[in-house]
Amino acid sequence: MRLFWSIAGVEARKRMAYRADFWLNSLVGFVTELGVAYFLVVAMFSGSERLGEYSRNGMLLYYVAVILVARLVRSTDLEWAIADDIYQGALNRYLLYPVPYGVMKYAAQVGALLPALVQVVLFSAWVPFVLGVPEGLRITPATAAMAAGAVLVANLLHFLCTYPIQLVAFWADNCWSLLVAHRLVAMIFGGIMLPLTLFPAWSQPILDALPFRYMFAFPVDALLGRVTPGQYAAGMAIALGWCGVAAALSAAVWRRGTLQYTGVGI
Amino acid sequence: MIRYLRLYGYFVRFSVSRAMEFRFDFFFRIFMDGLWYAHHLVFFWVIYRHTSLLGGWTLDQMFIFAGGVFLADGLQMTLFSNNLWMLPNYVNKGDVDYYLVRPVSPLFFLSLRDFAANSFINLLMAAGLFAWALARYPGPLGAGAIAVYVALLLVGCVLHYALQMIFTIPVFWLHTSGGLREIYWSLDRYTGRPHGIFTGWVRRVLVSALPLALIVSYPTSVLFDGLTWKLFAHIVGVTAAAFLLMAWIWSRGLRAYASASS
Repeated sequence: MRLFWSIAGVEARKRMAYRADFWLNSLVGFVTELGVAYFLVVAMFSGSERLGEYSRNGMLLYYVAVILVARLVRSTDLEWAIADDIYQGALNRYLLYPVPYGVMKYAAQVGALLPALVQVVLFSAWVPFVLGVPEGLRITPATAAMAAGAVLVANLLHFLCTYPIQLVAFWADNCWSLLVAHRLVAMIFGGIMLPLTLFPAWSQPILDALPFRYMFAFPVDALLGRVTPGQYAAGMAIALGWCGVAAALSAAVWRRGTLQYTGVGI
Repeated sequence: MIRYLRLYGYFVRFSVSRAMEFRFDFFFRIFMDGLWYAHHLVFFWVIYRHTSLLGGWTLDQMFIFAGGVFLADGLQMTLFSNNLWMLPNYVNKGDVDYYLVRPVSPLFFLSLRDFAANSFINLLMAAGLFAWALARYPGPLGAGAIAVYVALLLVGCVLHYALQMIFTIPVFWLHTSGGLREIYWSLDRYTGRPHGIFTGWVRRVLVSALPLALIVSYPTSVLFDGLTWKLFAHIVGVTAAAFLLMAWIWSRGLRAYASASS
């Protein structure tokens, strides 16, 4: 465990020491994403007061929250690091370490959360002043704690879902397009593009059963007090179940992959 | 001109044979872009379950707009994307040297050398989706309007290329991994949304300083509202200005280029 936190600490220091363009890109990315969401929401509400269960400000707040949560849940360029290790033969040194490779990579991802956390604090500080607090919304210490737990599980789930995809690099000459495909599916079915309650009723049980909701929309709903304790417990159980499935799949793919890994890179 | 066309023919031939050597990557990329199309269509379909108009357009009009976004993206990916992706690497490693000594424009060579064969398949898919969107549109759309639209979309693709280059070329001075292109990719989100949803100074910026709305959205409006000379002159004028600005920055960049020591 000490080694885990050491790796996370090293990664966090590396990230915090990062260059100005990292912060500039992050800020522009956030402002642009929010700007597009703002105009989209205003256009959607041009003919009506409410859309499903959302008021205009309620939906804007959802977008702010989901954009920020996505920063905490998705790793940054670490997403490609595992495939790169395999392509370039850099995996060799990790195979000699007394700690499983996946655990080390997850520790690095946890370390990368620190700059994301700083961004979330900085970028969200203005929200109550600009958007106000929509009617009926109550963010309490309890909902914040529920959201924090959901974000931690979401971060693990996201890592475990992308991990076996990156391990495809053992066989394929390039797998970044599969990661992008995963990102697209997660964006639409995870609630980044649109609140999931806008999807038709028949699709809700499917969205509930898939892992993507628990990566993004679920932590946001927990924060905004939109889930009851019972729904929260059920959601966390499903998310952890998906973590188990993804971990088992990762282990199987890893075993097969390392059997044919030559260690010389591509 | 003939020499450049023949050279481009060689680029295409080499690129296709190289793409065929990496079959997994070839098909994965087609799959990825196919998902990107589906992701856009689902997005608009869900929104229109709750509203009949978005930025003044109906769902049928929005599908045509989305088809245009796919076409523009397909062209960009097929012709330019791989090349623009590699450009910062070439600059930072000093590999631009190889292109400077050849008797061909380095801008032409570095922008068009790699033809993305997989994206060409996606371009065909995009054309199919665009045709489907046109076919399901209930109103009349004349062949003349479609021809004007296609012409303006091609102009929009040149604008897209010029803008992306303007954000990439600063790598000559910054020596970062991508110049300012990540900023461009963030801003490019505006290209995929109809201009009708934007208001005030943001809309003015999107047709002037950062003319992303002129790439697909305004050309699409020509299909429904007709073309005015003012709009035509604006789109062509802004594109020409952006291209000239890009060419000027490129020449300054080459002057600042310090070969392998960059």
